[in-house]
Amino acid sequence: MSSYQSYIYDLSEVKIIEEIAKGTGTSSLGGRKEKKYDWLRPRVSKLHHLGHRTPPFRFILLTVHIFTAIFFSFFFLQNRMGIKGLTKLLADNAPKSMKEQKFESYFGRKIAIDASMSIYQFLIVVGRTGNEMLTNEAGEVTSHLQGMFSRTIRLLEAGIKPVYVFDGKPPDLKRQELAKRYSKRADATEDLNDALEAGNKEDIEKFSKRTVKVTKQHNDDCKKLLRLMGVPVVEAPSEAEAQCAALCKENKVYAVASEDMDSLTFGASRFLRHLMDPSSKKIPVMEFEVAKVLEELDLTMDQFIDLCILSGCDYCDSIRGIGGLTALKLIRQHGSIEKILENLNKERYQIPDDWPYQEARKLFKEPSVLTNDDQIELKWSPPDEEGLITFLVNENGFNSDRITKAIEKIKAAKNKSSQGRLESFFKPAPNASVPVKRKETTQKAMKEPASKKAKGGAGKKKK
Amino acid sequence: MLELRLVQGSLLKKVLEAVKDLVNDANFDCSATGFSLQAMDSSHVALVALLLRSEGFEHYRCDRNISMGMNLGNMAKMLKCAGNDDIITLKADDGSDVVTFMFESPTQDKIADFEMKLMDIDSEHLGIPEAEYHAIVRMPSSEFARICKDLSSIGDTVVISVTKEGVKFSTRGDIGTANIVCRQNTTVDKPEEATVIEMNEPVSLTFALRYFNSFTKATPLSNTVTLSLSSELPVVVEYKIAEMGYIRFYLAPKIEDDDEDAKP
Repeated sequence: MSSYQSYIYDLSEVKIIEEIAKGTGTSSLGGRKEKKYDWLRPRVSKLHHLGHRTPPFRFILLTVHIFTAIFFSFFFLQNRMGIKGLTKLLADNAPKSMKEQKFESYFGRKIAIDASMSIYQFLIVVGRTGNEMLTNEAGEVTSHLQGMFSRTIRLLEAGIKPVYVFDGKPPDLKRQELAKRYSKRADATEDLNDALEAGNKEDIEKFSKRTVKVTKQHNDDCKKLLRLMGVPVVEAPSEAEAQCAALCKENKVYAVASEDMDSLTFGASRFLRHLMDPSSKKIPVMEFEVAKVLEELDLTMDQFIDLCILSGCDYCDSIRGIGGLTALKLIRQHGSIEKILENLNKERYQIPDDWPYQEARKLFKEPSVLTNDDQIELKWSPPDEEGLITFLVNENGFNSDRITKAIEKIKAAKNKSSQGRLESFFKPAPNASVPVKRKETTQKAMKEPASKKAKGGAGKKKK
Repeated sequence: MLELRLVQGSLLKKVLEAVKDLVNDANFDCSATGFSLQAMDSSHVALVALLLRSEGFEHYRCDRNISMGMNLGNMAKMLKCAGNDDIITLKADDGSDVVTFMFESPTQDKIADFEMKLMDIDSEHLGIPEAEYHAIVRMPSSEFARICKDLSSIGDTVVISVTKEGVKFSTRGDIGTANIVCRQNTTVDKPEEATVIEMNEPVSLTFALRYFNSFTKATPLSNTVTLSLSSELPVVVEYKIAEMGYIRFYLAPKIEDDDEDAKP
């Protein structure tokens, strides 16, 4: 296998991603459930492709969802990829920048999606039993195709026009992060072998998930699938997140959908989380607007980028002891990382010896992306029926009836996406009326900054 | 302080029945001129605009402009508890997070107070410009409701075309097609039974039928309905509420796919 771009995350991240991908509607055979109901289906076979949920099984899933809800609390506590703790920081300090939206409200919108991240999720969760995955007759993994196919259909059915963006060459700065992931995967591979010898089912599954990596083959398969489905594919020169954000900035797409908060740092004007979560989980889509983030935090875009670097990003280390909140305080006080470094108590906070924050900043500000001049064409076309059947059924052993039905769904969805939106005719107008409860909220808003200032003052004294 | 007394309580009940399926939560805006609501459905395809002018209320007091966020399903539940002949009074104190519905029986021997919690709803208000429509069709509301119901048993979408011949509603589905033409007809006994077509330019637009079927829940509010159509504008389906105002539904048309690069 060629090491195209590899991903490995520590356990907590795997858990998070698992949560995200679990039950995308596609991945009803997620890990934990699978284990529990092993006796129901001793082997994963290609019969389980698409719509494998039988009614009683669906009922069992309900209980499983309660299970996952318990793990859900981990979701917010653990470090995630992207910017550390940014969601919480925004929720506390810029609550107006995030808005809950209904999934349906995005119909007719063009949405850019980081494909590589999605593929990784699918490989971890879709159709997995222990270390066995969905495969075709030749024994090649097809989990990613299954996942990509079902999820894309779900988006199309909702009238959304997805654009998938694939990673290109990782930036040099990310090498370090990738090397870390690589060594973790190597460790996990060893652990997996031990577990296989010991025959411990739980461990086998746990470690085999950690050995997952997205290869060039996976990416190419998915690109082929998407093109056959009539969905546009963009190949980023470097980071997919950055390319997504660039598309959004140029107004080529309405928003970027991802679970990675990096998108905001790259300047995507609108960023959606939980868009691809299963409807069964009833989690509303969370919409972030970067303009509102800046307004509420009272920062410029450059300062926001510095804040993200200080909080901890993929490209360089952060300063020990400085988390999101301290970083926000420092940025507000000094205005930039340079100024902060001048004023920072070097004994209290250790600045990493090799700290390429300037390069990281440059990556966020001027990432290597395709722009308008490169004439990216986003076109949604009818699906290539024959092509899909050849690729999925003949080459990858999917059930032909189900694929035919799914193609019908794509065609029906195409019709739906022609529905116009009211906003394209009427523009938002300022609302003159005052809500009854406005009094309360303004009071609250007044209180918050006051208490923040108090804390800030205390912080200064300590120095 | 807000106090609105509506003698015709059943009217408010009907209004709620008309909008509650389309919109879950909405802000009711009160000002000196009247009691209004504007809200979009969750997919932002349809919009409802309601106006009940202050003159229509027996007593109308609104000291300052306020907007009250309500869950329409819950509000409908409360209003269901009012009798059809009851007088309904709406009350809210400044800064309070509840609204009170008071139902008085016509003989004044029973008074019921229902208090409902308000909610904070972050909703966008759309500015709807005044427009000259290419064609305006007025017809009996029950007739329109019947047409929408019949067509939706055949297909999902309706093409409404207005020509000098009349107005044509057509659909197409798996089992076949349907076309209904209504001609101008003003020689009727009662004016509300007339079908009147004013046309400046022929127009033809496609819409999703399920929204129309939701709009026609407003049929009990008025004997007639007015459809205003322009190419490249949402259709307006208006039910006049006698002596009080109107309830208007706006629906974005379906657009043919070739203008792909319209909006992100």
